[in-house]
Amino acid sequence: MNPLNLLRGPVSEMCELVVLTNDDIRRPAAEEFIGKAHRDLLRTALMALILVPSAAMADPLVTLPAPPFELPVLPPVSGTWTVMVGVGGEYKPDFEGAKRSMLSPVPIFAIRRAGSVDQFRGPRDSASIALIDFGDLRAGPAGKFVSSRKANNYSELNGLGDVKTTVELGGFVEYYPVDWFRTRGELRQGIGGHTGVVADLSADFIVPVIQRFTVSAGPRFTWESTKATSPYFGIDAVQAMATGLPIFNAKGGAHSAGVGAQVSYRVDPRWEVHAYVEYERLLGDAAKSPLVTVRGSPNQTTVGIGASYSFDVRIR
Amino acid sequence: MRRSSPCATFATVVLLALSIGGCAMFATRETKLQAVKTVGIISAVGDEMTFARMGLTGPNNANQSYSIGSWGLDDLIVQQATAALSGRFQVQAVSYPRAAFAAIKDSPVAPVNLVRGDPFKKLVKTDVSPQGLDAYIVITKAKSNFGSGARKVEGIGFVSYGTLLASYNEIHVLYEIRVYDGKSFDVIEKMVAPPLDNAGTVGLTGPSRLVDESFSPGSGDPARNESLHGAITDLIARSLPSTLSDMHLADIR
Repeated sequence: MNPLNLLRGPVSEMCELVVLTNDDIRRPAAEEFIGKAHRDLLRTALMALILVPSAAMADPLVTLPAPPFELPVLPPVSGTWTVMVGVGGEYKPDFEGAKRSMLSPVPIFAIRRAGSVDQFRGPRDSASIALIDFGDLRAGPAGKFVSSRKANNYSELNGLGDVKTTVELGGFVEYYPVDWFRTRGELRQGIGGHTGVVADLSADFIVPVIQRFTVSAGPRFTWESTKATSPYFGIDAVQAMATGLPIFNAKGGAHSAGVGAQVSYRVDPRWEVHAYVEYERLLGDAAKSPLVTVRGSPNQTTVGIGASYSFDVRIR
Repeated sequence: MRRSSPCATFATVVLLALSIGGCAMFATRETKLQAVKTVGIISAVGDEMTFARMGLTGPNNANQSYSIGSWGLDDLIVQQATAALSGRFQVQAVSYPRAAFAAIKDSPVAPVNLVRGDPFKKLVKTDVSPQGLDAYIVITKAKSNFGSGARKVEGIGFVSYGTLLASYNEIHVLYEIRVYDGKSFDVIEKMVAPPLDNAGTVGLTGPSRLVDESFSPGSGDPARNESLHGAITDLIARSLPSTLSDMHLADIR
């Protein structure tokens, strides 16, 4: 999941922001220690979440004063808002193509108009805003933040050089032929670490088992251009000399295919827990890269869990 | 002695100027409302009811519409709003083309809504009489996504929500309230009626409640279903005063 993953829906009704920790600071020698620190942090955060004051459960409404002035071009902020706080953990590969994974804490913070609901979203969805919304057909801009890949953070990357942070901007289209089936496509242009084009396709069967418990699952596919693949999986002559890996000219094409599933359970109107698993197998030159064949794995699995608590805030 | 940098000083001056300018330019909502003495109320919510099947459904799940004009819900809304507002404002009866207000729909393409402006404003300015009141309160249908799905429901309706193991029925009254300045016809305040505290766990952005199958419009003419009529009326009666209070128009809490 990326940090901008949860900005979706009509702007006037919902604005969500999730802040994730950056795993770029990890170094091989410190991995075990930091991994333990992450687990401790996650454990502490979960305990803190569990120990949210019972008073908040009994009387969740906080009233704040009206803002000193309002801009006429923006929707008024007065009214009742739902604030969601939570924490999760994500166990994912150290970098794309890595065979080792690490658990990272995932703080969750979201705010939206009271009563507005989170529309279904997959863990891989980019941040997006539906500027066109026919109900079953939605489309709009989408963006994704891809963290930098620091060569000195992981021993497998020593000698490969850094890949800078990338911002991918583009658009999305999603279509619901029926309420319980979503198809989604994204096309994004990279700026920064890679300057290629990325296309994500996914489909999800969304099955409400009971009113509070929903299960969803479906296939995923990613296509990337050469400029999007090469910075992460290509090995030039200098890198080959530095790493001992053979020179490899990574070209674009089918990048990965996989499946994903998630479950969410609303314990009560305040508490919700969720979990997901995403598996993808690298394809094409991403899978053939010596970085993957010698030092990594084409099998990439991400597992995440989380719990969140919602409470209302009224702004006069 | 430490001295602040010229950049910091400049930034402070600019921020101060912007703050003062902002406060001067944009009078607060409360300030505008304080000047309002006479209001007219317009309601265009309740001529028809939709029946929607959602959740685990087949492909043929288009919404059905039923006329419930005989219930006179818009008259009820005006009556209840008048009662809630009378403590603060002098409410005057107004005449307006209800169907024209009810027919206004948002475009599914968001930028179109920004470009075309507020169609309610034009109607209030041209089709409501008498003109010259301090403010006009316009109550119209609102839309909401149902649950985590993409489909939307609007206004007054009944939703049958199917899951793998059970099904649920929910009624809703989704509306929004706008307050227009009687001279400039700008929106002073706007709010979508929030959900009631005891709403069902399937989220809607407005007043709703779970009901049993006997409330279903599918089990007969909904206009003759007294249980349904009573439940819808109850939702309006419970939500309208509190929404007006949230907008600082009525003090009922």
